[in-house]
Formats: sequence, C-alpha cells, structure tokens
Amino acid sequence: MNTAATHSAPEEIMALFDHELSPEQAKSVSAHIDDCQECSAMLANFTSISHDLADWRVTPVPQSLATQIGEAAKHSKSLGNLRTPNIFLRAALWTWKQWALGFGLAMATLLLVAVMSIPNLYRSHGTAQTAFLASQGKSGAIASLPTASHDASREALSKLQERQALAEQLQRSESDMQMSTSPIPGPPPLPQAPMIARSVSLSIIVKDFPAARIALDDIFARHHAYAADLKASTVENSARSLTASLRVPASDLAPTLAELKALGRVQEETQNGEEVTQQHADLVARLKNSRETEQRLQAILANRTGKMSDVLEVEQEISRVRGEVESMEAELKNLNHRVDFASVNLTLNEEYQASLGIPPLSAATRLRNAVVSGFRNAGETLLGILLFFAEYGLTLAIWLTIFALPVFLLWRRYRRSLASI
Amino acid sequence: MQQFAQGATDAFSELFERYKQPIFAFFRRRLADPAHAEELTQETFLVIVRGASRYQPRALFRTYLYAIAFKILRAHRRKQAFRATFLGERKSTHDPAARDATDAGLFVRQAVAKLDRTDREILMLREFEELSYAEIAGLLHLPLNTVRSRLFRARMALRGLLQAPAPSAAPKLTESEERA
Repeated sequence: MNTAATHSAPEEIMALFDHELSPEQAKSVSAHIDDCQECSAMLANFTSISHDLADWRVTPVPQSLATQIGEAAKHSKSLGNLRTPNIFLRAALWTWKQWALGFGLAMATLLLVAVMSIPNLYRSHGTAQTAFLASQGKSGAIASLPTASHDASREALSKLQERQALAEQLQRSESDMQMSTSPIPGPPPLPQAPMIARSVSLSIIVKDFPAARIALDDIFARHHAYAADLKASTVENSARSLTASLRVPASDLAPTLAELKALGRVQEETQNGEEVTQQHADLVARLKNSRETEQRLQAILANRTGKMSDVLEVEQEISRVRGEVESMEAELKNLNHRVDFASVNLTLNEEYQASLGIPPLSAATRLRNAVVSGFRNAGETLLGILLFFAEYGLTLAIWLTIFALPVFLLWRRYRRSLASI
Repeated sequence: MQQFAQGATDAFSELFERYKQPIFAFFRRRLADPAHAEELTQETFLVIVRGASRYQPRALFRTYLYAIAFKILRAHRRKQAFRATFLGERKSTHDPAARDATDAGLFVRQAVAKLDRTDREILMLREFEELSYAEIAGLLHLPLNTVRSRLFRARMALRGLLQAPAPSAAPKLTESEERA
C-alpha cells in the first residue's frame, strides 16, 4: 500500500492546526494524522513553532497610557464627536488616492475662487476709479468713454490731463492769431470742447433676421446714418449673419445704439473714444503756416522782378506749398468727419433654429461618412501624437534623463526606508 | 461597540480593557520605539471613539479594530520612511525591550525578522493576533489561498531558522531585527 498517496496536504494539516477546516475535513485529516507518523510530525512542527513564538513576550501596557486614552476619549465625547461623522479622521491615515482626491479638490476650489473673484476685483477697481474721476467734476468727458473696464478708466484719466494742457495751448495760439493783422483768411475756429472720434463694436443675436434687417434700414434712415461697408451671408443649414461698418452722426450715436441693441440680445459690446483735439490743433496750425507761406510766395511773385529761373523756382515752391495745403485740408476734413460721424462695427447673428427636414443623405451613406470621418479623426490623432513627440520628444527625453536618476535614487531610498521600518 | 456607539461610556471602558494589551502588543512587536507603540495605540482607540457613530457591525469588532491599527501602522511607516528619505531624520535603533527579553525571545525575533515582509506579517497576524485566514486576507488585500500558502511557507522557513544553531552569547541585533 502506498501511504504517500493518502497523505494529507501539509497546508491541510496546518489548516487543521489553525482550526480553519470544516468539521468534516477536520475529522478526515485528524483520522489520517492519528495513523500517519509523518503527518503527525508535521503537526508537531506547527505546535513547536507556535510554542517558540510564544517566547516573544511584550511588556504590559503602561498605566499612563490607559489614563491618557481615557481622558482623550472623554474629551472627544464632550466635543460631541461621537455623533458627528468626521471624514477627516486623520490625514496620516489617508491613502494616496485620498491625498490625490483632496489635492484635486483643493486645486479645483482654488481655481473656482480665482475665476470668480478676479473679474469682480477688476470691476470694483474700475468702478472706484470712475467714481473718483466723477467726484473731481470731470465726469463729463469720462462719460463719453467706456467706463466698465479698468483700462478705459485709466486712459480717460490720462486723456483728461492731456486735454487740460491742450486747452491752455489752444487758448494761447488763439490769442496769438487774434493779435496778427494778416489779410490771409483765418483757419476754422478752434474747438472749445474736446474732439472725440468714437468707435463702437456691437455684436447682436437676433431671433427674426429678416425683421432685424428691415429695422436696421429704418434706423439708418431716421438717424441719417449710412453703411460704409455691409456684408450679409446666408449659408444653408446654418445661422445667417450680417456684418456692417456704419457711420452714425455723433449726436445721434446714443439713440442709434439703443435702437440697435433693441434688435436682439447683445452678445458683445465695445466702445472707444479717441481724443483728436491735439491732432486737430496741430493740423490747423500747420495749415495756417502753409497758407501764410503760400501768401508770401504769391506776393514775391507779384512784386519782385528777376531772372526767369528765379520766377520758375518761386512757382515751383508755390505749387509744392499748395499741394501741402490741399493735403492738410483733406486731412482736416477727414478728421472732422471722424468726429462728426461715429464708426459702428455691427455684427448681426441669427439665433439658429434647426429646421425639421428629411435628411438629404441615406442612413447608409451617413454611416459610411461617419466611419470615414472616424478613421480620419483617429489618423489625425495619431499623427498629432507623433508630431508632438517629434517636436518635444527630444526635450522630454533630456528632462527625463536629468530627473530620472535623482527620482529613482530617492524612490529606492524611500522603499528601503519603508522596508526597514 | 454598538452600545458605545449609542452613547454608553462604560462600553468603551470595557472595550479598552479587553483590547488595550493586544493592540499595544500589535504595535510593540512591529515598532522599535516603545513610545511610538504607545502613541499609535492611543491613536487607534481615539479613531474608534471618533468613528463610533459610523460603526456598522459588518464584521467582528476585532477585525475592525485590527484593520484600523494596521492602517495606522502603515501610515506611520510611510511617514517615517518619508522623513528618513527626504528630511534626513535618523531612524530610532534603540530598543529598550530587547534588554528585558529573554535569550529565547531574542532568538525568535531574529528568526522572524529574516522572513519575507509579507510572510512575516501574515505569520504574526496569525500567531499573535490570532486572526483567521479570511481576516488576514481582508486586511492585507490578498486572496485566501495566497494567505494560506504564504503562511505555510513562513512557518516552514521559520522552522528552518529556529532549528539552525543559535548564536553563542548575547547576539548583537541588526537594525531591522531589533525592530521586528
């Protein structure tokens, strides 16, 4: 009889020793052990090991520890922690997943707070500056400028200071001009109020595009505005849009804008005011000088006699100065036009509503197109990954090489420390 | 534990009296510094107190208790390893308990320290904490059969180590042996 074939597995004997077998198994293995010396010796080994391990004794718990725990428990209870679930039991008990989650949540909260608070800070700062300017009694000029943003307010302040200096300069030049007794026709009167060339950008979403188009023409007619450039686009199965560059009389700008905004929902609005008083004053002064020069040259030509070459030279000079005068007059006219007519860049977008219609393509064709598109997208993605590594792979490899060794050494040291504790 | 969760203070006293020594021994056998063992014992019972309201009797209280103790021990080890690695703190090597232990006890400690880390943990949880295979498997996140085979391997290895000729006089423990 082959007894080895009937031996219990050593792990079964160990399980019997540890009382981990079911009653039936335990009975069977026990019966075998009673008859088998080898298995009996194995069981004796386990008993011996347990006996040896029992020599590893531990000192009793210090009495001070029991007192401390009792007091700590009372303290915790007095705080009512027994009834309050506390998810942050102790940070040291967190796993790396909990740490990662906590860190992620903290960063998300920080980002959210930053996103919410920064625009408010900018807004309150801009409002405070505007209020300060208004309190200085100079809000009239500021009111014509966009006051919502911080940059605009700062720009308004600097322009206000420039304007004061310019007004003084203009007063001086005006008095000088009045003192002169020149017969030359005087330049246009100098502006008393600041000259501002305004430009507005407006983006509006309208529900009824045709009605908005008609209303737009009506607004043009009533406010004597005109479109310097207008482009309307209608693409199938998409929203219609209109882009126009309008010229609106400056005096009618506010009501025109109000009516334009009433066409639909304002998506974006930007207003700018460019101070051109200085530019205008310079141009007027230069024009005056050129006209005086022309006048003197005319006088020379009329009163003096000389060589023919000198006469021709004077005529050439007169011609050059006349050209300059005309150029400056055109520039002045353009400047006045910019001041008189505000520029409005208008964009009207239709609020697109998909219409219910029979799809032009069959389901099979659409499916095929989708598959082709999917393959193309997958290809593009793979190509993008390849391009990324082609572009940055070498740099990444360099940085990895630089950091890999220290990180590896630290990690190995950490693992060794962990294993040795 | 359920009575304690419902507010019976005496129940905690009874729990503490019953488990203070096993939990202290659990930490003491695994840590070199007895002060750390005391600290972690205290921490374990405080976690029990704080988490009493959320306790659900899905397993034996003993399993719940050792699971907390084991988590605290792992957190402590990670913290110590981190400090030793990145902050350069020196690990404690002084073990006053070694002086009080008998020669036989020291010999056993030496032998246990030579076992594989997981095998050693399984063996200690079985022999000292007397956890069942299923409880050990749950605690260490290992399959039941793995626990059984590793326990068998650990016992066989320990038998070999204990049967080897013992060192002559007062053996000088290495750092890891002292901790074990």
